[in-house]
Amino acid sequence: MRSMEEARIGVYVCWCGNNIAKMVDVELVTELIGKLPHVVVSKNYKYMCSDPGQELIAEDILEHNLNRVVVAACSPRIHELTFRKVLEKSGLNPYLFEMANIREQDSWVHDNREAATRKAVELVAGAISRVQYHEPLDKRSVGINPATLVIGGGVAGMSAALEVANAGREVYLLEKTEQLGGMVSHFDLTFPYLYDADKMLEVMIRRTINHPHIKVFYNTTISEVHGYIGNFETTIQSDSNQEQTLTFGNIIVATGLRPFDASRVGQYGYGRLPNVITSVEFEDLLRTGQVRTKEGNIPQNIAIIHCVGSRNTEFHEYCSRTCCQVALKFANQLRSLLPDSNIYDLYADMRAFGKGCEELYTATSKKEIIFMMFDQQHELPQIIKSVAPGDPPMLIFFREKISGLGLEIPADMIILMVGMEAHPDVKDIAHAVGISICSNAFFIEKHPKLDPVATTTSGVYIVGNCQGPKGIPDSVAQAKAAAARVLATINQGSVHVEVTTAEVNETLCCGCQTCIMVCPYTAIHYDREKKVSVVNEVLCKGCGTCGSTCPTGAIRSKHFTDQQILSQIDGLMKMALKIE
Amino acid sequence: MNNRVNPDLPRELREFGIRDWNECYHCGTCTAICPLTAQGFLFPRKTIRLMQMGLKDHLSTCVEPWLCYYCGECSEQCPRNANPGELMMSLRRYLTSLYDWTGLSKKFYTSKVWELAFIIIFAILVVLTFIFVLPPLDTTLTPQGGVKVNSFAPFHIIEYFDWAMAIVVAGLLVSNILRMYYRVVWQGTSNKVGLLDHIREFWHLIYNFVVQPKFSKCEDKSYWLYHWLLMSGYTIMFILIVVFLPWFQTEKIHPPWHLQRALGYYATIGLLIGLTAAIIGRLKKQEFKFQFSHVSDWLFLVMLTLTVITGILIHLFRVNGMPWATYVSYIAHMAILVPMILIEVPFSKWSHLAYRPFAVYFARLQKSAMTKTA
Repeated sequence: MRSMEEARIGVYVCWCGNNIAKMVDVELVTELIGKLPHVVVSKNYKYMCSDPGQELIAEDILEHNLNRVVVAACSPRIHELTFRKVLEKSGLNPYLFEMANIREQDSWVHDNREAATRKAVELVAGAISRVQYHEPLDKRSVGINPATLVIGGGVAGMSAALEVANAGREVYLLEKTEQLGGMVSHFDLTFPYLYDADKMLEVMIRRTINHPHIKVFYNTTISEVHGYIGNFETTIQSDSNQEQTLTFGNIIVATGLRPFDASRVGQYGYGRLPNVITSVEFEDLLRTGQVRTKEGNIPQNIAIIHCVGSRNTEFHEYCSRTCCQVALKFANQLRSLLPDSNIYDLYADMRAFGKGCEELYTATSKKEIIFMMFDQQHELPQIIKSVAPGDPPMLIFFREKISGLGLEIPADMIILMVGMEAHPDVKDIAHAVGISICSNAFFIEKHPKLDPVATTTSGVYIVGNCQGPKGIPDSVAQAKAAAARVLATINQGSVHVEVTTAEVNETLCCGCQTCIMVCPYTAIHYDREKKVSVVNEVLCKGCGTCGSTCPTGAIRSKHFTDQQILSQIDGLMKMALKIE
Repeated sequence: MNNRVNPDLPRELREFGIRDWNECYHCGTCTAICPLTAQGFLFPRKTIRLMQMGLKDHLSTCVEPWLCYYCGECSEQCPRNANPGELMMSLRRYLTSLYDWTGLSKKFYTSKVWELAFIIIFAILVVLTFIFVLPPLDTTLTPQGGVKVNSFAPFHIIEYFDWAMAIVVAGLLVSNILRMYYRVVWQGTSNKVGLLDHIREFWHLIYNFVVQPKFSKCEDKSYWLYHWLLMSGYTIMFILIVVFLPWFQTEKIHPPWHLQRALGYYATIGLLIGLTAAIIGRLKKQEFKFQFSHVSDWLFLVMLTLTVITGILIHLFRVNGMPWATYVSYIAHMAILVPMILIEVPFSKWSHLAYRPFAVYFARLQKSAMTKTA
């Protein structure tokens, strides 16, 4: 419904430095748009998102008594909120604003300046046409349930749980297995300072179990979570097979990763050759305190092969970030346990980054470890069973990258440094909590740099390895960061939530219940007395599926009404025809 | 060639003076900084890699260690303090022992007992020879007032002795150079090198022996000068003693500007300057190339210095008419000189006087074979 007062629109075209200006003639856009009806002001500026850019809009709103604003700049994902806040500060409802994306959808993807400029004019015209039908929407705030759900009882999960619980808030900690500790419970010593992993973990587990504010659920997985930030709800199957409903305000996902399956790399013979073992199995061996071959002998020649399953497009292209340091740790431990052994370290690139790790590499290189480089992408080493009498049981054939020579290494034991990969059930978890996964099946953060532990779903955070491979310190840091975010929202007591939900016009609803079938969030139920559909605004995420399916037009998606979308198309097409 | 990685080799090489061998992570800074790096000869990095992996067969075909003059630039720039210059130095010792078929070189480099025992035995033999073989002493003086040195150690007898020793030493050295040739040129290149190439490149051997132009490419030119003075002094003295002994060891005292005395003085001064520079450098340890001294380095310097000093004493006592002092100095001179020549020239540090110019020659042969491939 068009508002009663006359629309007075301010249009602002952004150069984005040279990002837009080099492909779009912003001056021309400003000029042409300024001639459209209802456009009171039309300006361009180098960076609209900068403080002076924002002030420009604020001043114009007061000076020209504007009641609608259009900014033609980047994607609304980046700066819609910035400009909505400008409107709010200037006394306008933030939803009386529309953004035209002339960067990602125009200047960045085209190479014809004239055509790109025309497209920009059309996109802005569409936005101008649409914004006239925008309605002021009132902010809705919801109370925050102070309890927090942490999924995963590894180091990351426990760190997050402890941090939140230490602030006096309730935490539900779900663990898939029958014990806490995650991957770290397999480790002997940690890198780079060679601290005992068990000692660290024991303390952490004891604190978690005994914490008055943490309730641990073992052998528990999550199937579905309802609600939104501040008001989530899920049903879990507890140990005694009894269903239990939990309600909580925030979710911290810490489901971790699992080791790569080394048998996928055929030429390494894992599974066929008994003394080819993975780094995880070698950790278990180290925990026994005795390094022996499967036959019970002391190995004389031990080879460590890096990047198993990592940095190879056939398996995983990414680097698992910890294996090089673990390999160096192994070399150190082996040198102490077996001082006279020959230790060979076959690496693709030595990535000993991070605090204390280069030092570990330097210290290790003084211990007569033979470091050799191989081509990880094109020529993986080949492990064969040796048959010649007098030879050690296995031989590794490979091309050494620096000398360019084809060499062989005798080996009694070979340790494969397996990388990390996603759990097979990662999609289920992502679906349950409503977050997305990347091509490597890691959960995607809201912003890789500026918001690395949040997700695009408010109230859901990702910490530790499920967000991408990393070591213990990074996982703990993320866990504590997420905990801080959670505690901040709890302390606020309430949060503003998205108001662009669906609403049912009860007079037009015929009660066909099509919307109930298509809603992916089970946010609509049927009122049998009134014989109409009812939207639960708590659960609705404003996806618009019901609105587009409704045969009678009874459902409106706020801020995405038919009228708004059609007028945008109308404005765009009219301008297109005009330019022709 | 054996392509099996062998960790025992670097352990064995520790005896030859290598240290920090495993710290190199092949960034290539040394190769980039080295003024002698050329296409196909990427040292010191290549040799270090072969050494780290214990590839003895590949290492023995390398000429690179001999092409390095140890200016120390690589060690200075090395981000890992792996000391590539010293690694090259140690490899020169190792290669010397590889070329030597008698096995004595390895014994001398790796065992102080062997080396000292050899020196003492030969020194005693020399002394005994003088005591029992030579004619009764004549302590009268010449009309000029000089010592009758040829009555004590007649030049025609000493000359025979010189020739015999030269032939033994040269025979050993030549056989070792042939072994070096076999490894470097036959095993080290896949292509055959033609006779014409051998002839065409031969002058590089002479030129490099006399001028040592490669050494002068190092940044600090002073050591090229010191080394050249030492080398030319030694060579002149060697030729005077072995080839021109009847002309050199005279009883007549020539005036100081006479060629006999002038050459002798030049050789002595050249040797003294070179030795002083090396000894001061090794004591101060300020430059990388002098930081680590193997026993063989010091032994060589000390023996050569003592040889020079006793040589000077012989001359002084002779011209000043002091027969007893002259004869004692003469015996001492020979007792140091003989074991030094026998150990150093075919088996130890002195052998580089042949291996270095030959390495340049062989490297050129390798290169001409490589260009044929291309």
